[in-house]
Amino acid sequence: MPVFKTPFSGYSVKFSPFYEHRLAVATSQNFGILGNGRLHVIDLSPTPSPSPISEFAFFDTADGLYDLSWSESHDSLLLAAGADGSLKLYDLSLPPQSNPVRSLHEHSREVHSSDWSPTRRDSFLSSSWDDSVKLWTTDRPASVRTFKEHAYCVYSVAWNPRHADVFASASGDCTARVWDVREPGSTMIIPAHEHEILSCDWNKYDDCCLVTAAVDKTIRVWDVRNFRNPVAVLSGHNYAVRRVRCSPHARNLIMSCSYDMTVCMWNYMSEDALIERYDHHSEFAVGVDFSVLVEGLLASTGWDEMVYVWQQGMDPRAP
Amino acid sequence: MEKAINRQKLLLDHLRPISSAKQNFDASLSASSCIAGDSSAYQRSCVYGDDVVIVAAYRTALCKSKRGGFKDTYPDDLLAPVLRALIEKTNLNPSEVGDIVVGTVLAPGSQRASECRMAAFYAGFPETVPIRTVNRQCSSGLQAIADVAAAIKAGFIDIGIGAGLESMTINPMTWEGSVNPRVKDFSHAQNCLLPMGVTSENVAHRFNVTRQEQDQAAVESHLRAAAATASGKFNDEIIPINTKIVDPKSGEEKPVTIYVDDGIRPNATLSELAKLKPVFKKNGTTTAGNSSQVSDGAGAVLLMKRSVAVCKGLPVLGVFRTFAAVGVDPAIMGIGPVVAIPAAVKAAGLELDDIDLFEINEAFASQFVYCRKKLDLDPEKINVNGGAIALGHPLGATGARCVATMLHEMKRRGKDCRFGVVSMCIGTGMGAAAVFERGDAVDDISNARKVEANRFLSKDAQ
Repeated sequence: MPVFKTPFSGYSVKFSPFYEHRLAVATSQNFGILGNGRLHVIDLSPTPSPSPISEFAFFDTADGLYDLSWSESHDSLLLAAGADGSLKLYDLSLPPQSNPVRSLHEHSREVHSSDWSPTRRDSFLSSSWDDSVKLWTTDRPASVRTFKEHAYCVYSVAWNPRHADVFASASGDCTARVWDVREPGSTMIIPAHEHEILSCDWNKYDDCCLVTAAVDKTIRVWDVRNFRNPVAVLSGHNYAVRRVRCSPHARNLIMSCSYDMTVCMWNYMSEDALIERYDHHSEFAVGVDFSVLVEGLLASTGWDEMVYVWQQGMDPRAP
Repeated sequence: MEKAINRQKLLLDHLRPISSAKQNFDASLSASSCIAGDSSAYQRSCVYGDDVVIVAAYRTALCKSKRGGFKDTYPDDLLAPVLRALIEKTNLNPSEVGDIVVGTVLAPGSQRASECRMAAFYAGFPETVPIRTVNRQCSSGLQAIADVAAAIKAGFIDIGIGAGLESMTINPMTWEGSVNPRVKDFSHAQNCLLPMGVTSENVAHRFNVTRQEQDQAAVESHLRAAAATASGKFNDEIIPINTKIVDPKSGEEKPVTIYVDDGIRPNATLSELAKLKPVFKKNGTTTAGNSSQVSDGAGAVLLMKRSVAVCKGLPVLGVFRTFAAVGVDPAIMGIGPVVAIPAAVKAAGLELDDIDLFEINEAFASQFVYCRKKLDLDPEKINVNGGAIALGHPLGATGARCVATMLHEMKRRGKDCRFGVVSMCIGTGMGAAAVFERGDAVDDISNARKVEANRFLSKDAQ
């Protein structure tokens, strides 16, 4: 299985929505606490070869990078979320010296997550430790809107896969909120956990199904039409759950990574929800992603400076 | 470097499942002592067993001091009949009363406390029932009720009586001994010595309340009180007092029964009031006609835990919701209600618009008109049966009198009249207000407000 060693601690990994062999990794020096950042774009070789994974490009930043998003409209566009509060847009088709093509600096604190809209393809969101979420489009130099309701860091934002105007946010104020960009305020406040919520994602097959992950070590699945009780509570991680992703290929499949250094695969509709546990990381596992183009292809990264790409069910460390 | 420390701290919080951050968010929520909020999108009035409810409220007639019906009546003979009425009309065993608090202002403290204790015996209370007095000047009667409500809330007692008593015939307003010369250095302290009428002139002058407005308010007070008396509205609340009147010339004693307020002038007119001379200031506006009358009287209110009232099968006249006492500049002490009313209403989780009836003491027409204007209140909701200008202002008894008058009026008005506020200004610069809710207001249909847009969440969460 391909393994890529990054010089800095991994923070986020995402598959390109255009090329099945391409990934990007956001990394930060010194565990993201102090130092530089680097954005890697890596390619998997189509055939087994001496180097199964190779670096296509990388970009250095003055501060750490906490997240990234691939553009849904152009195969070469890439967005990085910076610890200095900036969002940087990179174009892989341009030479390194003309990158980043745009640097959007509005957040007053670390940007912790970004998400490119899969339906409204010129728009993307960012969420920050300054308690706000901002909406941007590629053609504007400044943010279109700021959503400021959370009382603490917003750790995660995710566009609804079906409704172009709807997105969800997860915050350290122990709430997840659902927003409609046409509305002045949030349309729903879900007191989803009693601890900080670090991540959220929508089910790609059910536009009312939201998944949240929190410091309380659990992942909760919600039907936003009736959020009094969660549809499912997935426990099994031994520390805070850092990131959660819903499978683009199966309605019931959820992947998560945690401060307990493991990556877990869940079937939330089943009684024994925990399907697989991967303990290949030797430090906090903070980034996971499903490949949209290749079913069962997974990627993860962590503070151990490693990026693993593997087929579901296999051992990520297998040679 | 600070940034790095912050990042470290934040990430460390992720590893500590006991989130310290959470407590900080809770701190931004504040408790409201009343959850009966009309302004909420849904019915929130719940019948709690530990609500403090009022099951009976009575008063004597109010009579002019020195010339009126109680000029030859001992103060304890005013209080005893209203205390007895509470027991008789509710069939309560007097030994079950946990405490009696009497608001009283002008009489010497210890003597009045003894008189009250004696009055309780006259009224038929056993020696086991304690009694005390409280003095917060003009709001003493309301303060007594609030004290009893607080004691019930605190669990000290289950049943208590808040009362008020004043005989301004026997105890006129005086100052005994000399005044500490230090007051000259403290303007606020100095202003505490101002005659009340001067503070009224100050209010009228500072807030531009005209003589005409004041006289108009006085006429209205008389006319409303006269109408209420004529239609027998006060019959529910007034306890007739059997007493005597001594003819000042012949010295002849005559037994009488007093059951009508004797200060009301049904034929009061603006032109008549306009002829009166200002008393406190040359070119002033405060006259005998647009000030409260100097009176004798008493009132008493029986409070208990709702669960106790339910056990005894007593009808609930009203629920005591909140009380607030505030301080203002002593030189314009009349503005007290402007500060006190919003405070009490806010503590009840309500807005001014939610209040259906006000009983604001008319110490002076100047301050009454100012308070009404400043709070932008509907005159049709305030003192609907007249106020102290017509009925009289027996200082310590006024609070209990207002509560009795208001609760009986709320009862007559029915379920549309849900919340009532009693308030008064207080000499030396204070104000007090209390919010009452009618007892049978727990009704989903008439009280629940229409929900404008269902956004799945409580209005409070926005």
